[in-house]
Order: sequence, then C-alpha cells, then structure tokens
Amino acid sequence: MGENLFVGMAKGLRTWLESNHFLPIVTDVFLMLLAVVGVLGFLFLNALFLIYYDRKFGAWVQARLGPNRVGPRGIFQTVADTLKLFAKEIFIPNNVDRWPYLLAPVLIFTIPVMLFLVIPFGKGMVPYDLNLGVLYLVAVTSVETIVLWMAGWSSNNKYSLLGAMRSVAQMLSYEMPVIFAMLSVVMMAGSMKLSDIVAAQQKVWFIFLQPVGFLIYFIAVNAEFKRTPFDLVEGESEIISGPYTEYSGMNFALFFLAEYTNFMIGAIMVTTLFLGGWNAPFGWTFIPSWLWFIIKMYFVITLYMWTRWTFLRIRIDQMLNFAWKFLLPVSLVNIFVTGVGLYLYRMIRW
Amino acid sequence: MNGMGLLKGLAITFKELWKKPVTLEYPEKKEKLPPRFHGSFTLYSEKCIACGLCQQACPNKVIKVGSIKDENNKRKLASYEMEMKYCLFCGLCVEACPTNALVFNQEYELAKYNVEDIKLTLFKKEQITTGEGSENV
Amino acid sequence: MLKTQEISINVGPQHPSTHGVFRIVLKLDGETIVDAEPVVGYLHRGIEKLAEDRTYTQVIPYTDRMDYLGAMSYNLGYVQAIEKLMGIEVPERAEFIRVIATELSRIASHHVFLASMCLDMGSYTGWMYPFRDRELVLELLEMLTGSRMTFSFMRIGGVADDLPEGFIEKTKQYLPKILEGVDEEEGLIAGNEIFIARTKGLATVSVEKALAWGWGGANLRASGYKFDLRKNRPYSVYDRFEFDIPTGANGDCWDRFYLRLAEIRQSVKIIEQALEMIPEGPIMAKVPKVIKPPVGEVYHEVEAPKGILGYYVVSDGSTKPYRMHVRRPSFINIGMLKELLIGTKLADFITIFASIDVVLGDVDC
Repeated sequence: MGENLFVGMAKGLRTWLESNHFLPIVTDVFLMLLAVVGVLGFLFLNALFLIYYDRKFGAWVQARLGPNRVGPRGIFQTVADTLKLFAKEIFIPNNVDRWPYLLAPVLIFTIPVMLFLVIPFGKGMVPYDLNLGVLYLVAVTSVETIVLWMAGWSSNNKYSLLGAMRSVAQMLSYEMPVIFAMLSVVMMAGSMKLSDIVAAQQKVWFIFLQPVGFLIYFIAVNAEFKRTPFDLVEGESEIISGPYTEYSGMNFALFFLAEYTNFMIGAIMVTTLFLGGWNAPFGWTFIPSWLWFIIKMYFVITLYMWTRWTFLRIRIDQMLNFAWKFLLPVSLVNIFVTGVGLYLYRMIRW
Repeated sequence: MNGMGLLKGLAITFKELWKKPVTLEYPEKKEKLPPRFHGSFTLYSEKCIACGLCQQACPNKVIKVGSIKDENNKRKLASYEMEMKYCLFCGLCVEACPTNALVFNQEYELAKYNVEDIKLTLFKKEQITTGEGSENV
Repeated sequence: MLKTQEISINVGPQHPSTHGVFRIVLKLDGETIVDAEPVVGYLHRGIEKLAEDRTYTQVIPYTDRMDYLGAMSYNLGYVQAIEKLMGIEVPERAEFIRVIATELSRIASHHVFLASMCLDMGSYTGWMYPFRDRELVLELLEMLTGSRMTFSFMRIGGVADDLPEGFIEKTKQYLPKILEGVDEEEGLIAGNEIFIARTKGLATVSVEKALAWGWGGANLRASGYKFDLRKNRPYSVYDRFEFDIPTGANGDCWDRFYLRLAEIRQSVKIIEQALEMIPEGPIMAKVPKVIKPPVGEVYHEVEAPKGILGYYVVSDGSTKPYRMHVRRPSFINIGMLKELLIGTKLADFITIFASIDVVLGDVDC
C-alpha cells in the first residue's frame, strides 16, 4: 500500500486533471512543478535535519548532549538557526567583486537541486530518467568548483582565496577516482541510466561485486563533498572558513545548507550505485521502496558522520598525493580487473 | 601505515557513542560545589571589627572598608565595598580576616548588565550618626 | 613560465588556532611558508612590574596569571624562590600537598595541550576527550583550592589549606579514569595514520638545537635528552618518588605530542605515591606576619608543564620585591618558531605551533 503512495498520488492527479479537460501541456507542467516542489521540500527539510543529526551525533560521540533547547530534544534547532540567519543583515565588505560575490551563494544551492533531477528515489520515482544519468551527475557536481572559486576570489580575502584554491585542487583530483569508480559500476550494469543501475542490483548489490570500487568511491565522494578528513576547503583552524569567510546572514546559511545537501547527495549516490538503491534486501518488500532508499541513505550518512567525528584533517599535499598516487592507480587496476572479470564471465556463460 | 590505527579510532568512538553524557544541563541543574569554592563574598557585619586587614591584604585594592568611632572610641564598621571588576578571587582577604567575618559564598553567576552593578556593597550603615566620631573612608 | 607571486597573510591575533592572541605574518608561496614574522605582546600585562608594587604574598595571585593552564607550578616556583631567600623550612605535609597539587595541575595543562593540538589538526573528538578528563582534575583542584584555574594556593612557608575531607578517596577514584582517558586518546589520535602522516618528521629539533635555544621540559625530552628538574635537581620532595622520565626519539611533532601522554601517566604515578606517603603534621612553617626577606637575590627553577620555569627575585630588605624576573618557558619555546616554520605548509604552521606548547599569557607575561 505504501509502495505506491507517491506514484499513485501522481497518477491520480493526472487522471483528475485530464478528466477535467485541462490541456495536456498544462497537466504536464503542473505535475513537473509538483515534482520539483516535492524534491525541493525533501531536500530542504533533509538538509535541516542533517545539520541537527550531525550535531547530535557528534555530541553522542563526545559524551555531550548536543542541541536540546528548541523543540523536543532540540529538533528545531537548525530551523531556529536558519530563521536567525534570515533576520541578519547581509554584510558586504569593501572592495568585493560584487556580482560574483552575491551570485555564488545562489548558484551553490542550484547545483544540488539540479542533481536531484536524475535520482531514483523509489520504484518509478525518478523526476527525469536521463539516459546518461551518471555522466550528468559527474558533470553537474564538478560545476561546484567554479562557484566556490567565485566565492573565494570575489571575497577579497586571502583566506577565502586559499580556500578556493584548495577547493579547485581537491575537486579536480578527486573527480578522477570518483569517475573511475563509477565507471566500474557502469561496466557491470551496462548502462549509464541510474534506474538501470538500480535494476541491475536486484539480486546482488554492487558492493559485493565491487568492494574495491566501493571503498574508492566512498573515500573519494567524502573528499569531493569536503567532509573531515578532507575538509581542507573549510579548514576552520587553518583558514577560518575558507571561501565562506566573508559571508554573513542568509548568504552564509545557503552555503551551509548546500554543504549538507551535497553531503546527502554523496550518500544517495553511494546508495544508488553500490547499495542497491531502492531495492529491498532479503526480499523484505513490506517496507516500501522509497523508505528503503531513505533508510540506506541514512545508514551511509551515519557512516560518514562516524568517520567525520573520529578523524582529523589531512594536509593538502598528502591529500593530493593520496588521490593521484593511490586512489587513481587502484581505481584503474579495478577497472581492468572488472573488465577482465566481465569478459571471462560472458565467455563462461556463452 | 595500513589503516589499523584508523579502525582503532573508529572502534573507540563507537564505544563512546553508547556512554552517558557527562555534561550538565546548566541553568536547570547545577553542580554541587565544594565548600571551599571561591565565589562571591559574604560579610557577617556583626563579626567585623573594621580592622582593615582585608583591605591591606588585597593585591588589587579592591576592598574599601569605611569605619566610624563610637562613643567608647571603638572602631565600628560603616561601609564595606568591593570593586568586583578588579577582584582576582585569590582569597587573601578571607585568609587575612581575624574574625572570619568575610567569607566566600557559593554564588558564581556574577555577570551584570550594567557596569555600576558590579560594585559589591556588602555593608552600608543606614544613617551615619553625626557628631560622635569621624568618618574614615 | 607562469608568473607567480608570494602572498603575505596575517594570522592572528584573532584566529581560531593561535591559542590566544598570538600574531604571525606569513609569507606564502602557494601553501608553502617562505617567511614568517611572529609578533608577540598582545597579552602583555606587565606582571613583573606589577610585582614591584605588591608585597611578597600579594604577588602570588599574579603568578597564576602567567600560565593559567598549569598555574600551580608557577605558584610553587615563586614561593620556593622566596623560601630559598629567607631560608624557611617547609613542613613535610605541606610539601606533599604541594607535590599533589602541582602534578594535578600539570595533568590539566597537558590535557589542554593534547586537546588543542587535536582541535588545531581538525579532530573535534580528540579535543573533547581530554577536556572531559580535565574536568575531573579541575574538580579535584577545585575541591582542594576553591578555584579551577587560578589557584593562588601556595603561601610562603606552606600552603593555604589542608587536604579537604574525602580528597584522597576521590583522587584515588579519579586517577584510573584519567589513565583510561589517556589510553583512549592514544588509540584515537597517536596511532591514527593521518595524524602520524602529518606529524612524523615534521619540525624535527635536534638535542643540540633544543639546548642552544634553551628549551626545557617535555619539548627538550622529545628530542631525546633525558633531563627533568624533578629528577636531576630535585626540589620539594620529588626525590622520594619513583617515576620515569619518558624521552622521545626524533624531536618531531609526534614525539612532542606523545611525550605529553607519557607524562600524564608519570604524574599519575607520582600522585598515587604521594597519597600513600603523605604524613600528618602542620601545613605552614613559622613565618613572620610581615614577610621581609633579607637583602639579596635569588634564582630558583622548577619544572613547569611547559618547560623550565625560573624566578629571579631581588630583595632590598623591604616588604616588596625590588625586581622580579620570570624565565617563562613558553617565551623560550616560541623563540624557535620562525626557524621551524620555513619550508613547511600552512597547515603545518598550526601543528608546529600547537606542538611546542605555548600559552600566550606566559609568552607575553
């Protein structure tokens, strides 16, 4: 029953609209808008909750209580924080490059929203199922570098500039392992369409067939979305707050929310590519597929938080060395092994 | 360099995850302070003999003891003021007091909204009797 | 060739990881430091000068304010210098209480070191655990002295108060917890590959160099030189305890970090012995009400948490010191900073600065 909750709702709406003799184009646009609003709401609420969850998890690890004032168990803490940042003045320092400076926080939030276009949330729940979904993900993610660079360069602050330079170096280096790890999955699934990749994991998840690829992807995505141990871009104790240093009020809040949304996308991508997406394990289909998706996503998020609250920050040269001298060769070897394995598998089958 | 240290760290944080928090929800619950705690000050003015030893012991000249002489030419306390913004809470005044009139109390929420409120007036004689004895502030 | 340009970047005095109000102007080539210019003095309060206008007893609270993290050693060094000048014999019980208090405050200081180094390197959890354990130590010190950081506990000729009721039991109960926390920190941080990669071989200081710059304490021992004033020139009753002097091998940041962990263990050992051996008796020597040391001068050194702490006091026979000078270990430690920094990365600056263990109240005095 829960399984078709959202799909059924969309279907019902469509029949209702059609029965009321709306133009087909109006129906399509209306449903698309509804999907966008739904995704945006999911994204925003989740980001708000994630910030709360991250703080709470950190508190548990450190034998603290964490946020506990606003709402029951402090659940509305981030809402209150965001409201507070809304009310604050957006302070623009002297001699900033005005347009890039003001544009960057807006653009940074559009990227994660764009990424959600191709994510399969559940059975038949894809906003738009692109043929080249994987390529789209990679391409859109790397745009974030430019936005961070805009923020860092236009801020007229050396700390921001350093952070921006770090972000460029980091994103460029970790793009490679990410793509190669994705490539091994694409090879297994034989398609770049995300729904096909999920469907290919119906029986066996790719984490079991691609353990090395999973590890590489897990680490590289962490680096790509700048979480400890790879949080050099922000690097609070070194460069204050990196590209975000000069931002205040809602501009800063947008950066902050975008960071957590990106983090969520990292977890979603790990789920989709390696943990079977919305597929239910052990045939437990009594839990609807979209709920499975969220459960898996939060499992991955918890794993990331666990590493975040345990490790310390890596140094810039070590980070680059790790990407180019370790992750990249290993991922290349992994692709080679995958290719040979697939070839042998087909030879035996046929 | 094989990642075992990283795994050990993860195991330690995982173990800590289930331990009870050590923090206190401060304004609701307060810690039990030891009896020696250096908080604010209490003056038992009936014990005070206005000898001014505390005033002399203070390294920062925080304390101002005002005294008057009564009819038997005995010194009596007229006022006792402390400029708390300069106080080091070292306890030398409490130690110097021969009659234990000045003691620390358990009050530690000493932040004030106005700078004038920081001044701690522990004793102020209501009306200073004129004629008999001179005021020495 | 691409045209490149060095940028100079001003770090501090308000910066998340300058441990107070330290300022340094770094010249960076990309992320590599090519030149560094430390600027100190933002926390200068003129304590040495203030001391000239205070009686000998009134100076004690000011000694706390130099190294506010390990204030008890600063108390101890000062009162022992004056006792040396006046020839006062301190009762044994007082000496034991002094040792217990000093070692407790040394543990607290090392906890802050461990915590702040972890935080500077990006580990929030590695910061929280030592602070959680430091709370235990501070609870004990609060019970003993009434204050948590600036104790003003020692007096010329003894200590201000006897051990409170239940102190010994509570200490015995807390010490294993502190050791447990040290083990945890070692597992979490010292064995962590990222930490090792960032600190091993970084800012190596040879014994000769450390001695030439006047380093002492744990920083010197990290280079492999076995020298501890508590053992080599025992003061108070330190000669009665059994404890090791841990030494490092390379004198790099990792060694300096690890030495603090090892020293906490040794301090716990000393406290355990002191609690067993503590005799009954008075806690104050017979000292005149007004302290008037004879004309002369005295220099006394003790082992503070951050290095060798020396007090030089000149007396002109009055109730106030004619001149006081303090050899502050943090100031000595920070001297080498510029030399250590050149050629390292920006992130290393934070690590090195944290590893030499300075507190700005002590640097600027």
